[in-house]
Amino acid sequence: MSGTANRTTRALGLAALSATAVTVYLGLVVTPPDQVQGQLVRLIYIHPASATFSFVACGVTFAASLLYLWPRTRSRRWDHLAASSAEIAAVFAALSLATGSIWGRPTWGVWWTWDARLTLTALLFALLLGYLALRRIGGPAETRSKLSAVAGVLLFAVVPVDHFATEWWRTLHQGDTLFRPKPLIHGSQLATMLLSFLAFALIYGYLLVHRYRLEQLEERLETEGLELALAERRAEGAAESGGVVGAGASQQVAP
Amino acid sequence: MSQWGYVAAGYGVVFGVLGLYLARLLRRSRNLSRSLPEQERTWR
Repeated sequence: MSGTANRTTRALGLAALSATAVTVYLGLVVTPPDQVQGQLVRLIYIHPASATFSFVACGVTFAASLLYLWPRTRSRRWDHLAASSAEIAAVFAALSLATGSIWGRPTWGVWWTWDARLTLTALLFALLLGYLALRRIGGPAETRSKLSAVAGVLLFAVVPVDHFATEWWRTLHQGDTLFRPKPLIHGSQLATMLLSFLAFALIYGYLLVHRYRLEQLEERLETEGLELALAERRAEGAAESGGVVGAGASQQVAP
Repeated sequence: MSQWGYVAAGYGVVFGVLGLYLARLLRRSRNLSRSLPEQERTWR
């Protein structure tokens, strides 16, 4: 197997694909339409899971960044994990914004409104893009990793505020459907929504393993490429200085 | 657009983006792993 795959990732990928296929089938075919929302309720099987796993991925970035910043646990692997999870968090946050907007247009009559939940999710997405941009700046890898780890810790502050936004402020966005003492949905709708969380957890795990291994691979090749370039430059320098000495010696000898 | 149109757009965006992202990850990792020696290309 080439690339970043092995038997474990194939099994994980197969599990993610199966759970996703069953979720889509239940969500689009088996579950009934809602009395109020009609067919639009089917977006509930992809939107909350996208949003939740953007938060989970930010949490992993936060924890890995802390472990990187703490001198006793500092290791390149925490930096790689933080970077990998942040990229996936950005993908999930973008999906959450897109599906929310697609649901909002027929329900609220607008694609976008400056509601607290939406604004905070957009802010989180922007911060994640900033974090990923920070990781691409030049300079020593150690400095870049430390700065990124600080950013990874700070951006997580938005997550709990975003999660509780519907409770702390009066928002257009509805409150929690699932994470409350008496969930607002039941039966096949509840089962499908729970399954969607499992499917997105497996997708997140699968993407994270591949992205983490890719991060390691990129750093290894970058380091080896740098060492090779330095060795070549040293060899060129030695050849040039050797040539100059040789020319000077020949000039001294010539008279 | 009908309600089913919005539903189809939502599912299309989610699984389309995830599929493209995964394809990009796998293609990049496959290309980079070709730079490694043969015996170091597999992950345990």
